[in-house]
Amino acid sequence: MKYFLSILIATVFFCAANAQKKAVLSEKKMVTVSSGNYKPFFVTKNNRPIYVAAFKMDESAVTNAEFLQFVKANPQWRRSKVNRIFADTNYLRHWKSDVEIGESNKKIYNSPVVNVSWFAAEAYCKWKNKKLPTIAQWELAANGAPKNFKYKSLTDFILDWYTKPNPRILPNVKSTYQNQYGLYDMNGLIWEWTFNFNSFIASRDSRDKSEADFKNFCAGGAINVVDKTDYATYLRFGYRASLKGNYCISSLGFRCVKDLK
Amino acid sequence: MKVLLFVFFVAVAFGCSDSNSKSAFVGEVPKSAAAPVGTISSESIYQLPDTFETQDNKKIVLSSFAGKPTVVGMIFTHCPYACPRLTADIKGIEDKIKSKSEDVNYLLISFDSERDLPNQLKKFSNDHALDENWTLLHGDENTIRILSVLLNVQFQKDAEGNFSHSNIISVLDKNGVLVFQKEGIDADPAETISAIKQLL
Amino acid sequence: MLQISRKNFYLESPVLFAILLISSVLFFFSCKTNSGNSMAENNIDTVLTGTVNAELTFAPNVPKPLTYTSPKKVIVQLETIEKVMPISDSSEYTFWTFGGHVPGDFIRVRQGDLVDFTLKNAPESKMTHSIDLHAVIGPGGGADATSTAPGQSTHFQFRALHPGLYVYHCATGPVPLHIANGMYGLILVEPQGGLPKVDREYYLMQGDFYTKGKYDAPGLQDFDETKALAENPDYVLFNGRVRSTTGPHALQAKVGETVRLYVGNGGPNLISSFHPIGQLFTKVYMEGGTEINTDVQTTLIPSGGATIVEMKMQVPEVINLVDHSIFRAFNKGAIAQIKVTGPENPSIFQKLK
Repeated sequence: MKYFLSILIATVFFCAANAQKKAVLSEKKMVTVSSGNYKPFFVTKNNRPIYVAAFKMDESAVTNAEFLQFVKANPQWRRSKVNRIFADTNYLRHWKSDVEIGESNKKIYNSPVVNVSWFAAEAYCKWKNKKLPTIAQWELAANGAPKNFKYKSLTDFILDWYTKPNPRILPNVKSTYQNQYGLYDMNGLIWEWTFNFNSFIASRDSRDKSEADFKNFCAGGAINVVDKTDYATYLRFGYRASLKGNYCISSLGFRCVKDLK
Repeated sequence: MKVLLFVFFVAVAFGCSDSNSKSAFVGEVPKSAAAPVGTISSESIYQLPDTFETQDNKKIVLSSFAGKPTVVGMIFTHCPYACPRLTADIKGIEDKIKSKSEDVNYLLISFDSERDLPNQLKKFSNDHALDENWTLLHGDENTIRILSVLLNVQFQKDAEGNFSHSNIISVLDKNGVLVFQKEGIDADPAETISAIKQLL
Repeated sequence: MLQISRKNFYLESPVLFAILLISSVLFFFSCKTNSGNSMAENNIDTVLTGTVNAELTFAPNVPKPLTYTSPKKVIVQLETIEKVMPISDSSEYTFWTFGGHVPGDFIRVRQGDLVDFTLKNAPESKMTHSIDLHAVIGPGGGADATSTAPGQSTHFQFRALHPGLYVYHCATGPVPLHIANGMYGLILVEPQGGLPKVDREYYLMQGDFYTKGKYDAPGLQDFDETKALAENPDYVLFNGRVRSTTGPHALQAKVGETVRLYVGNGGPNLISSFHPIGQLFTKVYMEGGTEINTDVQTTLIPSGGATIVEMKMQVPEVINLVDHSIFRAFNKGAIAQIKVTGPENPSIFQKLK
């Protein structure tokens, strides 16, 4: 009888412990972004709005806690092991160690993970059987109308965020606004990696807006900006153009997407 | 009876166990993507384990090119102007190097996963009279994007299925480490040639 | 009778011939002497005689005049920093800066130097930044080579071919916003031999600022794009802050001294009508170039331009340096001061009963 009881207790304990672990690893909620047309910021003569099929997107950015699970399961992506061409020396520098965010960093367990490179973000999304969003997907999702918003416009809100310095402690995900798709913090918390961030052929000198060097431009024609007063978007595209895949930056993180089917 | 109960509880215990970790591995993580593989240098682009197809319909991985310096360009065959010029620029470099050494790989990788299948690449190779030192590669969209990021090449697909892209000639050493890049069409090849010569 | 036949000229007047020959040779050579700037372009000594680290200073201070006599490789490193600072007594603003100050570091090099330039972007920055130096002849003035993401650094070299006082500013898109937030400074390329010696040198830079709130509204102020597009600033300031260079922070000088001011105008929008109340500019290096105008009351500083002015201090006084589009000085903060101390000089100025 004692033997039976001890086994019963042990089993219950074991199950409970795993159940809790399961709760921490529970899958991130994804929302559906309905199909739409995305009007690119940089246009060429032949440009048309890009049709984006409906897709699922993480409702919020990937957090430090979630990324921790990834590096625990994938030692080659740990801070001390990672290859420099895939992540520069700032990779996860805000963490205590390879597999610890740190007790003193409790406040950021559920904040977006930052100081991660494009390659690391790519690998994480793949690990979750997802992908990084394309620019068209991300922009379509990010232009979703905010719900319960106190700002005059989304552009106002974005510019406001851009012109404020980074907070010392990055707030939790879901701490800014939610938009019509159910997505949180598409703007206002961090910059986010996109799959094809290295898309822009326009000269990095943004004043060179007239004729992109024809030599660099198979698709033909000049590249131009649709709305030069849209400073918020201008800053975001300029930011993307300065990135390299292994950069780890303290205000740059990501979220993943998945095809509907 | 006791044995049965024991077996039952053990089964339940294992049933509750970390099945989640299995689902965590559903997506394939390139094992070698972030750690040195065998003798491949940790700074090498050949870390990328993805498979490509050549113009001769052979499956190949990038590490096959180790052992010789490699000159890389990214193109697509439907490109009206820039890509033929970039190819010609690399051919010009090959001509200047040939006298010193034949032991250099010339690699053209296509942006156009949809249209630049091996036979299309073969046609391009013939049209441009590219010799046996040249390999043209086709890869899937994901692989090509990762490679472009590794090579600092910008590109995007337009509505017609064509590509706008930067034009860069990259030089990799015998281990596949990126050592030199030159941007632009009709660019002065002197520095590129010198960079390659130092690797011979 | 005076006609000397050609045939006999050489034989019969060898002295005359010799004189003519020698004088024509001398004449020919004297005409070859180049003057001023064209000499600079043709005879730049491209052999560098060493490497130095540039002395960098923040306004109102200027690096010491250079003393070397042949071109050097000069190492310059600037860092872009985004920082909340007071813009007035009650208002704060999130400035984007070179070096944590508005204006940014003053760079001083000599014509012919090879400048080895590194731009760092602080890891805490949110934005990508770059630099365009107006002294650079090269793509974007360096902008294309220096698109720098937060935590990264970029590197390029340029030859300072021409002397003058030049503006530099961030050139990342949208450029007007980066400039409006304070990303500008000056680089002085001394002519060969340096500038004539003066007693004091100071650095001022004018800029216009656009905030959602009124002038001196309390708290952290946001940039106002509508006002910026309309070129209707709330602040027009020297050195990025109301009263930055007045009262206890006024520039100092003594009676008898010659003072030189290096004055830039970062804009982004306004042109400055720069005037010293109670003085006049004995020398103006017009638009920061090589032409010198003398005895000027008010000189124009283009947006994205500069000027070098000199004054001889004659009497004790407080000189108010203003943008003479005078509402800017009175209501938007466009005043800086030079406090001149020393003995009175009644023969120059005397108040009478």
